[in-house]
Amino acid sequence: MNLVESVGAGLRDMSSNKARAAITMVGIVLGVASVVAVLSLMQGGRAQTEAFFEELGGLRELRITNTRTNRVFMTAAERASERLTYRDAHAIRFECPSVSYVDPEISRYLTVSYKDKSFQMRVLGTTADYVFADDMPVAEGRFITDRDLDTYANVIMMGPTYRDDIFGDEDWRGKQVQVEGIPFAVVGIMEKKEFYFRGGGGERNVLEWFNRGHYIPITTMIKRFTVSDQLGGLEIAAKSVDLVPTLMEETRTVLSRRHGVEDFDIESKSEQVQQQAEQQAFFNIIFWVVAFISLFVGGVVIANIMLSSITERIREIGVQKAIGASSRDIFIEFLVEALVITSVGGAIGLALGYGVVRAMESALIMPMAFSPSILLLAFLTSVAVGIVFGIFPALRAARLDPVEALRYE
Amino acid sequence: MLIAVDQLTRTYDLGAAKVHALRGVDLKVEEGEYLAIMGPSGSGKSTLMHILGCLDTPSSGRYVLGGEEVSGLSGRELARVRNQRIGFVFQNFNLLPRIDLVANVALPLVYHGSVTKTERIRRASEALEQLGLGHRLKHRPNELSGGERQRAAIARALINQPNIVLADEPTGNLDSKTGHEIMDILDALSAEGKTVCLVTHDANVAEHARRTVYMQDGAVAREDYS
Repeated sequence: MNLVESVGAGLRDMSSNKARAAITMVGIVLGVASVVAVLSLMQGGRAQTEAFFEELGGLRELRITNTRTNRVFMTAAERASERLTYRDAHAIRFECPSVSYVDPEISRYLTVSYKDKSFQMRVLGTTADYVFADDMPVAEGRFITDRDLDTYANVIMMGPTYRDDIFGDEDWRGKQVQVEGIPFAVVGIMEKKEFYFRGGGGERNVLEWFNRGHYIPITTMIKRFTVSDQLGGLEIAAKSVDLVPTLMEETRTVLSRRHGVEDFDIESKSEQVQQQAEQQAFFNIIFWVVAFISLFVGGVVIANIMLSSITERIREIGVQKAIGASSRDIFIEFLVEALVITSVGGAIGLALGYGVVRAMESALIMPMAFSPSILLLAFLTSVAVGIVFGIFPALRAARLDPVEALRYE
Repeated sequence: MLIAVDQLTRTYDLGAAKVHALRGVDLKVEEGEYLAIMGPSGSGKSTLMHILGCLDTPSSGRYVLGGEEVSGLSGRELARVRNQRIGFVFQNFNLLPRIDLVANVALPLVYHGSVTKTERIRRASEALEQLGLGHRLKHRPNELSGGERQRAAIARALINQPNIVLADEPTGNLDSKTGHEIMDILDALSAEGKTVCLVTHDANVAEHARRTVYMQDGAVAREDYS
């Protein structure tokens, strides 16, 4: 009997006893549905985390910050260090071969006024690289240029949220605002940045913070508004994701030499993504356990029902052997039957799992991702259950002694 | 010589007791013989039949079938012998209940392998038609009378054109009229040159055979030729 015919025979057999087939399949259906749900949930969570970091400038980036140390416990070398400065940023840019761009930032809350209106606003001193570093698109006009930096230009790029508050219906082009009483030419408006976490309860734009800042050349910031060129933090990017570890080492060498002490922390975004994924994986264990238990129970039910169906069919097996079926023929017949049951159950489970995923997604409870590889993996799982739990009953059927089987009442 | 059995024994080990079902049977059957094996219950006739049909293996002794030593064959080779050289007819027909007559009769061809499905159906339908069951091809066994079932079982036994037909109480579950019909078919098979071997305790059935072997206590007690 070839495989197609065996499968056909299995299907016919199943349809001749629908109630039994349905009960047999319940476990497999639920197991496969849980596997689909778990995999979609995992993939969805990971995709969302990656999308979030991508929105923040991608995985090539390193963030360098000053180590927080209580002044009381500082060593002399630590006290002597100037911490992260704009000069460090320059040094990294010229001395580290793996660096693609450097984004030093100094932020201050400053008074920004236009005509009779006056606001306390966060102003960020930065460089032309900022738009790459934080993936900040310009909506209108232009961003700060290298020429602005060289000439300590009094130019300001404004965040989208306050544009209406400051200018109302007026066109921003050609206007000047006062920053701490100093006139700055408005050169552009940033694009609105948005990201909503699904599931976290949220209609809240977690990146709104970015929309409320204004930008001026960092050189102008140092010259006019700060006492030193100390930086709050520094973002740098490697030329490629592969070069991230190399750049980490290069940066560590340059900064340690300049500071005389390692009073800074370097953190890569890919590490953060990894951490996030590990955390997620831990939570997913519970789903895996549920999926595994349902698959296991499904398998046990199949083995059990097959064993009882073998008892019903002992005589038939004897007859089949008497007319020439070998043990192998009988083994294949029963294994195929188990596989047909689990495959059909698996297919129903896929449909159910897909429904659950869609339902959860539309209810905004969880981020879900769905892919053909998930379908394939879940289906293969059901087939594997069929093989694992079908082998024992099939072996038992195959090993029956023909004379005893024929005599069985 | 088609069948040559030499000092055949079969002992069942039931733990505490050993049951000697066969205690040294000698039997020779020529090609084309019509043979009946008779004897009371427990005389060993069914056990002998099972061994002759390669369903069971002897504890000792030799069994040569068509020049081939059967005692030493593997399970798979025995299955091949049962499939291609022996046709079984049982007292209670033993058709598979969940498939129709054509599928039942075609089943030995399935295990034979290398016969296409179309060919199997054609041959099974033909065999059923020859036995007057052409109108029952798509029926399941439980929709048929006992006589029809036994005729279908004979069609199944013959589908692979075996040279031996082994019939174990073929009329045991039939009324006398239907039993006669079945015996007529077996007589015809014998006339065609098949070797037919009946196991029965019905003297009227045994009369159809030209040679009767009487068994007693696991051995051949005497033989009659008619």
